[in-house]
Amino acid sequence: MITVYKKKNIPKNMQLISLNDIYFNKYTVEILDERAAEIIKIIDHSDMLNKYTISSRFNGTVLNIDKLSTGCKTVLNIMYNADSIFDICECGDNALDVVYSLPDGNVYCSYPFISFEMKKVNVFDKQGIHEIDSYEELKEWWINED
Amino acid sequence: MKIKPFITDRIQTKHTSFKVDLNLENNVTFINGESGTGKSALFSFLEELAVEDKRIRCFNYLDYKKSYKNSIKRSKGKLFIIDNADILLDDNMRSFIAFDGNNQYIIIGRNPTGLHLNIDEVYELQNQEIDGITLFTLNKSF
Repeated sequence: MITVYKKKNIPKNMQLISLNDIYFNKYTVEILDERAAEIIKIIDHSDMLNKYTISSRFNGTVLNIDKLSTGCKTVLNIMYNADSIFDICECGDNALDVVYSLPDGNVYCSYPFISFEMKKVNVFDKQGIHEIDSYEELKEWWINED
Repeated sequence: MKIKPFITDRIQTKHTSFKVDLNLENNVTFINGESGTGKSALFSFLEELAVEDKRIRCFNYLDYKKSYKNSIKRSKGKLFIIDNADILLDDNMRSFIAFDGNNQYIIIGRNPTGLHLNIDEVYELQNQEIDGITLFTLNKSF
């Protein structure tokens, strides 16, 4: 399950990435494998042709993979970079549902940004990591100051 | 806060097999919706339109470190098109935009907080294919 962080509790050995497009285009793209194809299909309704190209959902033309949506890139950043924390504020509802279904990964948002599909997440605060399994409880944790 | 558009009530452009036809009912048009619906593609088409239409200025994440905020605050008679608004627009800029009487805005993002918009001023991008041409228009989100 994913781990949710608040800004002031981000560990010193982890970086917070807000510009998901740039991080994806520079780093994540190099480590994509077949797992990415499924995510790209679910969120952007596009086919991944190889590491650097996709087919357009609109007219089927071959596009550079940098044309993926920011939401899709954010999900892939989270999936492939377990040592960093990614701001999810630009995710659409469809990408957000996928974020909350990931088996692991680290996320941040300055306000409560929760999928209705959420089942269980880890949260990280000054008490360390603990588990939350309800939407309301997670929202409350997010709003409350530590 | 419903204010009639200062600059234009319609934007039309074409890019290869894509057509854009946006009716702008308010001075601030906020576009959100699911990931992968073509919002950033729309931005790139409007960016191209801006080359020919001097009234239009476009900003996205590539301008993150640039002085886009001052540029907006100093401008008059412009239509600003802002993608990645969740990253680019802080509370201060959102408040400025909400009360700006000199410029018009199309804002693409997730969260319209701080822009003082009514629920029926938030739009989603709709696309339909007609004879191999993909047409982008706006639909109210709610």
